Amino acid sequence: MTRSQAFRLAAGGFVDRARPLRFTFDGRPMTGYAGDTLASALLANGVRLLGRSFKYHRPRGLLSAGPEEPNALVELRKGARREPNTKATTVELFDGLEAASQNRWPSLRLDLLSLNSALAPLLPAGFYYKTFMWPRALWERLYEPVIRRAAGLGRAADGHDPDHYEQAYAFCDVLVVGAGPAGLAAALAAGRAGARVILCEEDARLGGRLLSEDLEIDGLPAHVWAEEAVRELSGLAGVRIMPRTAVFGVFDGGTYGALERVTDHLPVPPAFAVRQRLWRIVARRTILASGAIERPVAFAGNDRPGVMLAGAVRTYLNRFAVAPGRRLVLFTSSDDGWRTAAAAARAGMEVAAIVDARAAVPPAVMALAPRGATVHLDARVREALGGRALAGVALEAQTGRQRIAADLLAVSGGWNPNFALASHHGARAEWCPHLVGFAPSGAPDGMVVAGAARGMLSLARCLADGWDAGATGSETLGFRPVGARAFSAEDEPSGVSALWHVKGGRAKAFVDLQNDVTVSDVLLAEREGYRSAEHLKRYTTLGMATDQGKTGNVLALGILAETRGAPVPSVGITRFRPPAVPVAIGALAGRHRGREFRPTRLTPTHAWAQSRGAVFVEAGPWLRAQYYPMPGETDWLETVGREVLTVRRSVGFCDVSTLGKIDVQGPDAGLFLDRLYINTFSTLPVGRARYGIMLREDGFVMDDGTTARLAPDRYYVTTTTANAVRVFQHMQFCHQVLWPDLDVQLVSVSDQWAKLSVAGPKARETLRGVVDAGSDLSSEALPHMGVAEISVMDGIAARIFRLSFSGELAFEVAVPAGYGAALAARLMQAGAAFGITPYGTEALGVMRIEKGHIGGNEIDGRTTAADLGLARMMSRKKDFIGRVLAERPALTAPGRMQLVGLRPLAAGARLRAGAHFLAPGAPAHAGNDEGVMTSVAFSPLIGSWIGLGLLKSGPSRLGQRVRAYDPVRGGDVEVEVVQPCFLDPSGERLHV
Amino acid sequence: MSEPMSPAAPESSGLEGRLVPGRHGNASGPAGVTLHLCPPRALASVMARRGALEAAVRGVKAGFGLDLPSAPRRVAADATAFAWSGPGQWLAMTTGQTPGAFEQALRKALGASASVVDQSGGRLILRLAGPAARAVLAKTIPLDVHPRAFGPGDAASTLAGHIGVQLWQLDEAPTYEIAVMRSYAASLAQFLLDNSVEFGVEVSGAPPQPP
Amino acid sequence: MRIECPYCGSRDSREFTVLGDARLADRPDAAGPGALGRFVAYLHERDNPAGLHPELWYHGAGCQSWLIVTRDTRTHRIQKVEAARDLPREGALR
Repeated sequence: MTRSQAFRLAAGGFVDRARPLRFTFDGRPMTGYAGDTLASALLANGVRLLGRSFKYHRPRGLLSAGPEEPNALVELRKGARREPNTKATTVELFDGLEAASQNRWPSLRLDLLSLNSALAPLLPAGFYYKTFMWPRALWERLYEPVIRRAAGLGRAADGHDPDHYEQAYAFCDVLVVGAGPAGLAAALAAGRAGARVILCEEDARLGGRLLSEDLEIDGLPAHVWAEEAVRELSGLAGVRIMPRTAVFGVFDGGTYGALERVTDHLPVPPAFAVRQRLWRIVARRTILASGAIERPVAFAGNDRPGVMLAGAVRTYLNRFAVAPGRRLVLFTSSDDGWRTAAAAARAGMEVAAIVDARAAVPPAVMALAPRGATVHLDARVREALGGRALAGVALEAQTGRQRIAADLLAVSGGWNPNFALASHHGARAEWCPHLVGFAPSGAPDGMVVAGAARGMLSLARCLADGWDAGATGSETLGFRPVGARAFSAEDEPSGVSALWHVKGGRAKAFVDLQNDVTVSDVLLAEREGYRSAEHLKRYTTLGMATDQGKTGNVLALGILAETRGAPVPSVGITRFRPPAVPVAIGALAGRHRGREFRPTRLTPTHAWAQSRGAVFVEAGPWLRAQYYPMPGETDWLETVGREVLTVRRSVGFCDVSTLGKIDVQGPDAGLFLDRLYINTFSTLPVGRARYGIMLREDGFVMDDGTTARLAPDRYYVTTTTANAVRVFQHMQFCHQVLWPDLDVQLVSVSDQWAKLSVAGPKARETLRGVVDAGSDLSSEALPHMGVAEISVMDGIAARIFRLSFSGELAFEVAVPAGYGAALAARLMQAGAAFGITPYGTEALGVMRIEKGHIGGNEIDGRTTAADLGLARMMSRKKDFIGRVLAERPALTAPGRMQLVGLRPLAAGARLRAGAHFLAPGAPAHAGNDEGVMTSVAFSPLIGSWIGLGLLKSGPSRLGQRVRAYDPVRGGDVEVEVVQPCFLDPSGERLHV
Repeated sequence: MSEPMSPAAPESSGLEGRLVPGRHGNASGPAGVTLHLCPPRALASVMARRGALEAAVRGVKAGFGLDLPSAPRRVAADATAFAWSGPGQWLAMTTGQTPGAFEQALRKALGASASVVDQSGGRLILRLAGPAARAVLAKTIPLDVHPRAFGPGDAASTLAGHIGVQLWQLDEAPTYEIAVMRSYAASLAQFLLDNSVEFGVEVSGAPPQPP
Repeated sequence: MRIECPYCGSRDSREFTVLGDARLADRPDAAGPGALGRFVAYLHERDNPAGLHPELWYHGAGCQSWLIVTRDTRTHRIQKVEAARDLPREGALR
């Protein structure tokens, strides 16, 4: 770092030297160019040490130049936008970027936690399983806070994420994953055929390896060919190119998950732009052209900064015009590695030695050796030497052991086809001896794997394979044939021999760099009997880090196989699972966070209630007015008490629009309802309503509500608020699946009607100021449980139901929902003389408990109609859903918990729902449990807390005393068992 | 539209203050989409009775001059339209009659061949149009609205986020109408606005009524 | 997952809810002896096939049709989708 970008090459690469970008790493200011990644910019500035490792805090640099990077994890940005564990190799440089190394203390160069490395003999594979077993008490006090802090990655942001994320759907005929040579050729073929094509590329720039290699296609430099291909694709109407978009998962039915990093490459997202977008892409055909990942070799010190994959060295040289070092040693067992030596020499680097583990290489490969490089065949690197940076390598050559000074060691053990996405959904891995690696066998429905991802390792073969996949795929879908196409490109030598592990050397040899899994960990697991690949993975954590072992997995299998003297496929291979790249929770949530986590349903009087200062409560998806505080009221109990007493003494109204409402029509409507409810509706007269109970087929109560008959062939069914959707679905099931022969039509009208319940002795007089002339509300015209179609507020068609939940004279008035707020306002005027009050769900609940009506707390899925005191409603004359199983022994046995009322013996004692009943004197344990308090309220009229509960043989225990025991809140109240109805049991108030 | 239902009582959508007229989001260039709440129109569910599908089709043809679709399509003539909403089910709509009169007209045309239920109060209809409308819908519903897959006259019931909607395309602009249960309309409007701000959205009052 | 609704076409599975084994369509006769046993079997006894499995799905966010989806439990491949209302009754689903 004597000068800015000392390692930048004078020419070449796809960086814009006219656009310098300033950035900092651990607070040190540096400069890179537009087109750089953070990794290439750091290398250009001579930064080799990027982080400390997960477990041993070993110094680490860059292994790769792409998304497979295990080492170079950094924290980006600050504060609420701080993002840990980001790969420097995939971060596009932007002006003002702030990056920090992680997992070090106090600083990257002097990391005291690297003591972990000295303790390494104490931290073997399975350390957690062996050590943190006991004593249990130490878990939270010692192990978690101290030990886990030392072993870890970056720090999460410390505030709410200020950015936005969203989700979107896309559909196409042909999805192409990856825009390297095979992907571009496939997209060109499918696009020219006229198919709708989506081309996803994780990188910001399309071209894949074409950007890294010095090759030609059809007489053009490969990157120029790529640019022209992209230009043509951009001009095709059916083709959509999605850069910065990583396909992360393959799901059933041709659905793919993809993450678009929309503005990650900018300091902050511009106004109204999202940070990331999660795509669900539905594709008829998919071409997986996700390339290959180079495989390292395990040898002592192979994690040292300066040890880099050979292909990555070419990427830094050719794409970013950065020399990752001054003096190179190449260690390879593949033909491909030699091209790194050639590229380095072309860029002016000194190539000290080429070390190939093979005894012989083809002449064409040998010709790649730069002048001045010593070639060692049948030789190996025993150890990478140095400290925080590579200083040299120790060789085991035919000429004996020797040391060579070098600051860059390029390693190639061959290439692994990257078919993780195919493996998500069915593809198996098949051993390919010529690759010394696994290739996919089969693919998910609709997918083909093309190019290097299926083991085609030369440019000419990748292009031809991609084109063929695109042409065949689109032709299968009925698009015009585009025929075969020959590309003029090199068929580079791609021979490789197995080279997994070099024994010897003092330093640790790593297999999984991100999770710090060493060769000795793998061998220890093998000795301890973790023989299957899946067990090895879980025991050693191999491949379980954020990089999913993209560089380490096959290496570990090779080492295991070599140790056993068995073929690699006999060891097995672990399955890949989504997500193939890390996906932020924010992206999965999209817009559905905070207040928009789920949609909110608003009642027709919501804005009106808001204007009156109502306090709202969530009831399922609904927001309902809970109570309406008046000036001077100090707590909710006072407000609710006032609302209740106003209704009981004069008049009040409540929005009950949230009830489910279902219009049931047809000649068989009555018969249909008879089969759904335990009681009978076919006998209900037109103009009358009846309370009904519906069971589940297993005999327990599903729901209750009133149903009105509007015409001989038309009913209006109501359900509870909570079960509205479920009951409608159940009715559709019964109609379409069980009894399709019935002539009945069902439609939800829940949102059609605003429904206000007007209750109290003055309800009728109040309504006279609302209904239009000619509407008769007298008991003769509209008796209790009577229903009429009337008009209100000067000509608005309405329905009026004389129904009471409160026990008072009450009318439910339904108007088209848009008029709900107007109706509320009109009721306030009409009832002003009587002191009318709106009331909320609290007062509604108090009054229903006073009357002993069941609610959701009592219909809890475990109660029968008999348990709720409604046995006599069950018709014996017909079949209905739940009838047979309601009569099974367990549901009719004596001693079931049944509905009763409860009153505290001590005046003023508070009851709490959830308290359990115990016989007086019985010890408080579960064996003595006699039931549960389901609903409680303070009754202002009675001046006491009252409760409903389910008590063992309750109805036969009236007058007895039980304890209501509530250990959670410290409640222990003696209560008397009473009838569930506390007020007006004969119902006189209903008939005013 | 003139809705002579009530001179006295005001009708409210519940979206007052939630779907505010004006330009929202990205302010550069012309708005990518426009979003309006359609004025109230008469709506009704029409459900053919058992074995009476053909009679219902004849009734609508005779009464309204329209061929009831048997697939997810919407047919329209003059002020009246029918959108398929399920086998033997349609959402009927008109801008030419009050809800009560429309219900009566439907009953008269259909007789015993179908059940008719007024839904005028139960749904609100939002109209989304403009060059970015497809991009907004891609973020809103899990349906393919590419011109090759969904065009004028096509209709569908689906989910917008977690909200059930029925939508149809009116023209090539493209213009879509999205019918939503009234209680969910505020949440849907917010979702559509969130999905539109990237492109710039112009919210206006009453748009002209389509056929 | 995608389900080909016979009315609406190919749709995302989030529009549907699953109820389970399609034998629920064959509700037993409540009359006569043995009804209790028949209903216990109807409601609770299930095969667990590795292979084709007819299931009841409800297109609640679409056309509100109950469907019989025949799915291969090993692969999630859907072999066919039929409207429940169109199926012949009386043991046809067993």
